[in-house]
Amino acid sequence: MPQVLTANRLVVGEVVYWNGARGWVQRLQDAEVLADSEAESTLAGAAEWVQKREVVAPYLFDVRLEHGVVVPVKVREAIRAAGPTVRLDLGKQSV
Amino acid sequence: MYRYDEFDARLVHERAEQFRGQVARRLAGELTEDEFKPLRLMNGLYLQLHSYMLRIAIPYGTLNARQLRKLAFIARKFDRGYGHFTTRQNLQLHWARLPDVPDMLLELAEVEMHCLQTSGNCVRNITADPFAGAAADEIEDPRILSEILRQWSTLHPEFSFLPRKFKIAVSGSSADRAAIMVHDIGIEILRSKTGEIGYRVFVGGGLGRTPFIGHEVGSFVPKGDILAFLEAVMRVYNESGRRDNIHKARVKILVHQIGIEEMRRRVENEFAEIKKSGVLQLPQSEITRIAAYFAPPDFATLASGDAAFEAAKRGNRDFANWVKTNVHAHKMPGYAIATVSLKTIGETPGDCSSDEMDGLADIMDAFGQAEIRVTHEQNLVLPHMREADLFALWQRLEALNLATPNYGLVTDIIACPGLDYCDLANARSIPIATAIAKRFADLERQQDLGELKIKISGCINACGHHHVGHIGILGVDRKGVENYQILLGGSGAEDASLGEILGPGFDREGIVDAVENVIDTYKNLRSDSERFLDTYRRVGAQPFKERLYAR
Amino acid sequence: MLVKAASIVEDSFTPVADGEHLPDGPVIVSLKRFLAERDRILAREQPLGVRLESGESPQELQPCLPKLALVVLHIPAFRDGRAFSAARLLRTRLGYGGEIRLTGHFLLDQIAFFTRVGVDAFDVAPNISVAEIQTALHEISDVYQPSVDGRVTIRDLRARRTAVPPS
Repeated sequence: MPQVLTANRLVVGEVVYWNGARGWVQRLQDAEVLADSEAESTLAGAAEWVQKREVVAPYLFDVRLEHGVVVPVKVREAIRAAGPTVRLDLGKQSV
Repeated sequence: MYRYDEFDARLVHERAEQFRGQVARRLAGELTEDEFKPLRLMNGLYLQLHSYMLRIAIPYGTLNARQLRKLAFIARKFDRGYGHFTTRQNLQLHWARLPDVPDMLLELAEVEMHCLQTSGNCVRNITADPFAGAAADEIEDPRILSEILRQWSTLHPEFSFLPRKFKIAVSGSSADRAAIMVHDIGIEILRSKTGEIGYRVFVGGGLGRTPFIGHEVGSFVPKGDILAFLEAVMRVYNESGRRDNIHKARVKILVHQIGIEEMRRRVENEFAEIKKSGVLQLPQSEITRIAAYFAPPDFATLASGDAAFEAAKRGNRDFANWVKTNVHAHKMPGYAIATVSLKTIGETPGDCSSDEMDGLADIMDAFGQAEIRVTHEQNLVLPHMREADLFALWQRLEALNLATPNYGLVTDIIACPGLDYCDLANARSIPIATAIAKRFADLERQQDLGELKIKISGCINACGHHHVGHIGILGVDRKGVENYQILLGGSGAEDASLGEILGPGFDREGIVDAVENVIDTYKNLRSDSERFLDTYRRVGAQPFKERLYAR
Repeated sequence: MLVKAASIVEDSFTPVADGEHLPDGPVIVSLKRFLAERDRILAREQPLGVRLESGESPQELQPCLPKLALVVLHIPAFRDGRAFSAARLLRTRLGYGGEIRLTGHFLLDQIAFFTRVGVDAFDVAPNISVAEIQTALHEISDVYQPSVDGRVTIRDLRARRTAVPPS
């Protein structure tokens, strides 16, 4: 199952995603989709960013690719990527 | 209400500066997240789904206008211009930034507020009846004891690292408007046969993964003994509560495991030991001193049934509808308790914008209201309105869109923030609440249904108090999809009971229909003007199961 | 690094594992070992410390406390707050007057609370400075609750304040 690495920025608390080439990005669509073989090592690599006080609480979550669009398997991650479904004027979806 | 003296003020200021130091150490790498987490939690700062969330303490739910304006200001300056009133009478801001929090705490300290112990394994906000000081059936204002307990529990050296969180609620009458039966410690103020006022203490109530109704551990604790008695309970819990499994660490589990008899024995032993030293005796002088802060306002001598008020009701049906549900009798003739519903149809239950907060503060000033109260059902209360002012109040609330006439009705739904906001949640609760509210928006229909408390939680932690809803809804994750279980027959009042799961859950599309079917079943079965809860208790779950599942 | 009264002090005690031979001089043994070999250990007539794990009750030491120079409270994780009650019990009901030392995983920010309930020495990481400890101890000036340390409470301060006659 393809996965994405995510975390929260320590200072502002914002949700971010890992892209090996670009670092921590704000949009899920810019995240790197990880194959099974690389997911765990990528997660382990996040420890360095925790140590540097960039992010906290990194973890992996499952995604599907639908016509090139990264779609989280769980509703929770879809909401986390966009913002509260009851306030469309708030969160990443409003930017 | 309580006013800080220089000692209270210094403590919250120092606490804000202490946290500033802790944030600096965190950002400089001197504290790991693991070390910082308990420190930020003890200042009410969570890392939630989208951002940091700051939980501001509102002791026993009481605010003055200055404080309300400050909350509006903080929400505007540091957050996204709104806050969420919770089921523990606190306020949550969902979009905080870590480096701003020390400044937010300082702003709060300026108006005698703080975020102390709104999270963490310590004694949390002491909650009390929002009708305190106004209700006719009140034996004594529960906020007097609540303030004494607030001070006793703040930065308690022995009990700041309990096995788990500890929640205390106080009720000032035999009617329970503070849900004391489902708290770790619930306290009922009562009068003995000789007329002495004392405390009946319950222990081991709670919701969450394993809900329990509290058991009596002290039938009549004299006022002077209450701190010693509560320390005894806390010490037994601190020493014997489980430390190996966070899901089994609440005091309710300890009581369940050893039994209430054994719990009582241990508490009484410890209490006897504490009494020997006499150090924790609460002197009458201290009780009197604190009580003076909660002295009733100067009530005018008025007749009940103000003529203008009666005329306004006859002349304006919308106003009359609002009075029917949102106005309660006050102990003083000519006065009334007014509930401001934060359950506007189609909007997030319990949310309040900065503009609304400022508007309410203006209203408080306009009508000489020194206090506004937050209820554990996510509404607000103006406890000492004059009947003669109610119509003008209602008009001003209407202008703010805060005059929803639904207190206690089916659209007065309690909902936790749920998966839209909360890191712990499994399902969304707010859109379920708004969908149900819209389905039942017709006011005549609502009034016909009468008192019907729907409570929705987005996960097993039960912050929406679903176990004690007449209709409770629990959102779960069923194979990655949001699913909603219905419970019936819960009550958080003095007739406390825990709801029973009706059967398999429903998805987002099905849950509103399911709730409507449950309510229709009630309508078909009710006798006279029986409440939903009473019908359920009379007929049981079977008719409801048949309606929902027989196919 | 051992800290007592906010200064670094020498640690003269040697912790000894169960089953290991007891060297000459002050030693710290586990509660289990102490209870099993009590008479023999006490017969050494040298300064003795007993280490309590979280969940072990100081009550078990009660008859022997006057003979103990040191009780060590070990904290496995800072969330485990039983040591606060253990220290308090030692000082109050059990009347223990020797040194209570804290070791294990605790936060700097807990030291003030531990001091209040009767702990007087802390085994801290070597990179902690005395200044940090001083800060931790004095960040909050006043206390609401009475405790073992006998500190004046806010209630006492209030009473004093109102009792002062006008000049």
